[in-house]
Amino acid sequence: MRDKVRKLSSPSERRSTGGRMQVPLRPEIDTGTGATSDERARAMIEIDRVSKRFETSGRKSHLALADINLTVNDGAFVSILGPSGCGKSTLLYIVGGFVAPSEGVARMKGAAITGPGPDRGPVFQEFALFPWKTVLGNVMYGLRQQGVKRTEAEAQSLRLIEMVGLKGFEHFYPKELSGGMKQRVAIARTLAYRPSVLLMDEPFGALDAHTRTRLQNDLLNIWERDRKTVLFVTHSVEEAVFLSDKVVVMTRAPGRIKEIVDIDLSRPRVRAELLLDSRYQKYVVDIERMIDDGRDDAEHP
Amino acid sequence: MTSARNIIATLSPLLACLGLLAVWQVVALWLDTESFPTAWHALQTVPQILGDPEQLLNILDSIRRMVIGFSLAVLISIPLGLAMGRSARVSAFFNPLLMMIYPVPKAALMPIIMLWLGVGDASKTLVIFLGVSLPVIYHSFQGAKAVEEKMLWSGAAMGLNGLQRMLRIVLPAALPEILTGCRTGLVLALITMVTSEMIARQSGAGNILFNAMDMAQYDTVFAMIIIIGALGIVLDAAFDKLRWRLVKWAEPHQEILLGAS
Ligand SMILES: Nc1ncnc2c1ncn2[C@@H]1O[C@H](COP(=O)(O)OP(=O)(O)OP(=O)(O)O)[C@@H](O)[C@H]1O
Ligand SMILES: [Mg+2]
Repeated sequence: MRDKVRKLSSPSERRSTGGRMQVPLRPEIDTGTGATSDERARAMIEIDRVSKRFETSGRKSHLALADINLTVNDGAFVSILGPSGCGKSTLLYIVGGFVAPSEGVARMKGAAITGPGPDRGPVFQEFALFPWKTVLGNVMYGLRQQGVKRTEAEAQSLRLIEMVGLKGFEHFYPKELSGGMKQRVAIARTLAYRPSVLLMDEPFGALDAHTRTRLQNDLLNIWERDRKTVLFVTHSVEEAVFLSDKVVVMTRAPGRIKEIVDIDLSRPRVRAELLLDSRYQKYVVDIERMIDDGRDDAEHP
Repeated sequence: MTSARNIIATLSPLLACLGLLAVWQVVALWLDTESFPTAWHALQTVPQILGDPEQLLNILDSIRRMVIGFSLAVLISIPLGLAMGRSARVSAFFNPLLMMIYPVPKAALMPIIMLWLGVGDASKTLVIFLGVSLPVIYHSFQGAKAVEEKMLWSGAAMGLNGLQRMLRIVLPAALPEILTGCRTGLVLALITMVTSEMIARQSGAGNILFNAMDMAQYDTVFAMIIIIGALGIVLDAAFDKLRWRLVKWAEPHQEILLGAS
């Protein structure tokens, strides 16, 4: 057990938080040897001792991720929290197969990830919509690529567009949409082709509080129905606790996993009830404190 | 409100043309020299030239060469520019070559090309081809380079392979920039068309113009300038309309400046 925890956090970090950690901690570490065959079967994504070093302009290279170990089970909703620049996006890109790790390996259903594929659907922080396609054209794109007939793809896409609250905007071009609307198109575009893993990079970052809450609920509904595996990056502790089975807290650069917190709240979750639930509140406060501790460490080494 | 604006927008080029002709007329009357005919005289000569089958064939010859040179250049330059924009290796290979060709006025290559290919269509078409190629390559290159990486990643995640990403993401994403290059190329095609015929006088609009110059037929000279100018304006306007239709989805951006070569 000691051996397993070693990878998780440095001694100083553990000292600062370990003493009064009341939230259940169950670091999922898969060093490749310790996992039982049962755990193996449930693992959708395994991130195994992954580091990422970027060659930057100038001679120095930048260590963005250091020794990340994380297992995401099939159907799990896992959120990643951490300060800006700690490598959250980079971690998603590695799982997406867009970026190769410098060390270690990421696996999907036991097979090493070597490139992107329709089994993993990214929602990028920058939306990355196709500007020459309308809202409908963007959402349909993946379905058409997979050989779904036009009428069928259209029908499915229209339903998704309605779900993300963009009914009436089907024939608008991305340049004619606001930031939050683009973000919703990006989410619909990825949901459309039904990837088994969703890689969402601050997908609700540009939304107003009302739309954000609504889409959180929609995402939870979709997730509870389809039981997709979700890797979800956010800056909002409340959002992470509300949505997730597991919250991964990362340290500032170079990004390491500081804590993994299991969120032991029953589902389906109802926002109004949860907000009054003291266990929910405790998770939020505890995780916020963890993030703050990191800041203190940096200021008083 | 908008309709009034539209009328002004469509009328203003016409008014500009009329204004220019009026100034020309006044200056020509005032100078009163043989080598500067009045606008009215020059305009009267235009139908004479276009009505003469031999002259008309000459002009059509020019247009044919221009269309062929332009089309070939666009067909080759767009894929090359896009490949350069997406691959550091392709770019490293072609860049020095293009850097060398870039500052050379294409018409200056004409004598050498004539030596190899003769004074016929081949030389002139090649010069037009060279003139058009560079701006189209350059703009395709810039357009392809600027394609947002996450857009390509999105495509890859949907299962598009490398070639599909090139054709279905890089090409449309770079299209506004490519068409900007093509528009510059079109103007350069017209310029190189005339200069090539000035050097290799055998047929074409430039041939008529410079022969008339030699024979001091100044009405014809100026009429040809009007014809070539009008051709340029019509082609450019038609192309801009096409461009607007193709990329109306794009963010509005800077109007292009005409690059000289
Ligand atoms: N292509 C790259 N080349 C060089 N350095 C990079 C590259 N991509 C990311 N980095 C560096 O890696 C670090 C992590 O970047 P990343 O985008 O993953 O952070 P993040 O946690 O997603 O931040 P944010 O919350 O602001 O989105 C940053 O310091 C960044 O400068
Ligand atoms: Mg990020």
